[in-house]
Amino acid sequence: MTVSPGPLSGPTPRPFGLVNWIGVGALFWRGLSRILKDYRDTLLGMAASSLLFLAVFHFAFGADGAQMAGLPMLRFLAPGLIAAAICQQAFDAGSVMLVFDKMEGIFADVLMAPLTTAERGGAMVLAATAGALLSGATVLAAFLPFVPLAPAAPVALLFFATAGALMHGLLGTLVGLWARRWDHYQAAATFVVMPLAYLSGAFYSIESLPPIGQWLVRFNPVFYVIDGVRYGFTGHAEGSGAVGAVFLLAVNAALWFTLHRLLGRGWRTKS
Amino acid sequence: MTPVRPPAPRVPGAVNWLGLWTLYVKEVRRFAKVGTQTVLAPLVTTLIFLGIFAFAFGSRAGAVGGVPYLQFLVPGLVMMAMVQNAFANTASSVMISKIQGSIVDLLMPPLGPGELALGIAAGGVTRGLVVGLAIMPILAIVVPTAIHDFGFILFHAVAASLMLSLLGLIGGIWADKFDHMAAITNFIITPLAFLSGTFYSVERLPKALVVVAHLDPFFYMIDGFRYGFIGHADGSLGAGLVVLTVANAGLWWFAYRLFAIGYKLKA
Repeated sequence: MTVSPGPLSGPTPRPFGLVNWIGVGALFWRGLSRILKDYRDTLLGMAASSLLFLAVFHFAFGADGAQMAGLPMLRFLAPGLIAAAICQQAFDAGSVMLVFDKMEGIFADVLMAPLTTAERGGAMVLAATAGALLSGATVLAAFLPFVPLAPAAPVALLFFATAGALMHGLLGTLVGLWARRWDHYQAAATFVVMPLAYLSGAFYSIESLPPIGQWLVRFNPVFYVIDGVRYGFTGHAEGSGAVGAVFLLAVNAALWFTLHRLLGRGWRTKS
Repeated sequence: MTPVRPPAPRVPGAVNWLGLWTLYVKEVRRFAKVGTQTVLAPLVTTLIFLGIFAFAFGSRAGAVGGVPYLQFLVPGLVMMAMVQNAFANTASSVMISKIQGSIVDLLMPPLGPGELALGIAAGGVTRGLVVGLAIMPILAIVVPTAIHDFGFILFHAVAASLMLSLLGLIGGIWADKFDHMAAITNFIITPLAFLSGTFYSVERLPKALVVVAHLDPFFYMIDGFRYGFIGHADGSLGAGLVVLTVANAGLWWFAYRLFAIGYKLKA
């Protein structure tokens, strides 16, 4: 007599809803906690170096009530420095974690997890974005004792700060995918991101650029980030906010599309 | 039957020149191999600083120290790049050797504490001077710069690079993690390099800070170096020579002691 086995209930796959929220949350928190753990460098270090710039400009030129584009100098500079800090921090956060994982050979852990490409890329980029906004808030807090910075247009401020952080988070993640060594990340940070953050109007009115520079700057998305953040704080803008908003949305969409394609294909991660 | 002689130990003289030279060459090759990061990157950074200050103030800043502002600024920027790179070279070299465990390769060979400190510090000085030599001519094309006294330029370039190399060496021995090193750079070295008169004449500072500036070796190295170009100094040149010599002697003695007792190296 044979015993027919009853219906076997093997392990069933865990069903996910439309989005694997647990996975996305875990990957997001992993990225953000890395930034928080390294707060001496990512938050305090950023605040210290931004304060240094403020001090240098104050001592060098601020004593005699200097103005920039009609604003008191420090009120002009502070939003630019905050925007530059957000951009640089987002880029670093986006690329450093990815390069580190690739160099250590542990990026497979991220690729193995049951996440779609959009979930994987989105969680990484959003972690960089959130970390950069925290960094910007830290710089703002460090500035407040010295410069009055009540936001004139909070919605614009939030939009442009987030768009700038997102753009650099995407850019950083793309550079992280591309980089095969730390040198590659270093080169992108030193030769592309830092110059763009510092030369796009953070420290001066674009009217003081030569005519060719004034024309070129209109095609530089980082200019709109800095200008928009400055508008959010002071109500003073040098470019068109609407053009800036549309341009930044388009750039972010294009970067996201590129990242989604490359991450999905496994470019330099699965090969 | 001829007697078999045991191998005799090699006897270095008072100074193990071969070992010292080998260590120095290793330190130089270490940064030369990544020249993009160690020489080209400081050049770009310095040009960006020049651009920021030129666009922000070039047109309306008056004369500083008797010369147009950008002429005043250039020697300060070059000095800043030199000292930051001298510091980064020795700090990262010692730090990475410690973390990767290859520091024993320095401690095992027949090198005394003086030879170790000298070999590593000389590597940092070389990087500082190479960076200065690479940057200065390019800045001089953008901003016309004359040489007033070459002796002062040379002394301050070497003294400043040595001072920061020794600081980097000491910092690298002390630091246990990269975080510690980043903290030293962010909170001590960069502020000192920024606030010691690189970008402005310290006479513009509030009274209390002027006194502080005159106690700061970083101020003297920038001021004396700048004097070599523009012929104007904010502080006393004689005091600067003494402060820098004493600071270097003190740091040298300290670095020597750390190697001699093996602080955090042989423990």
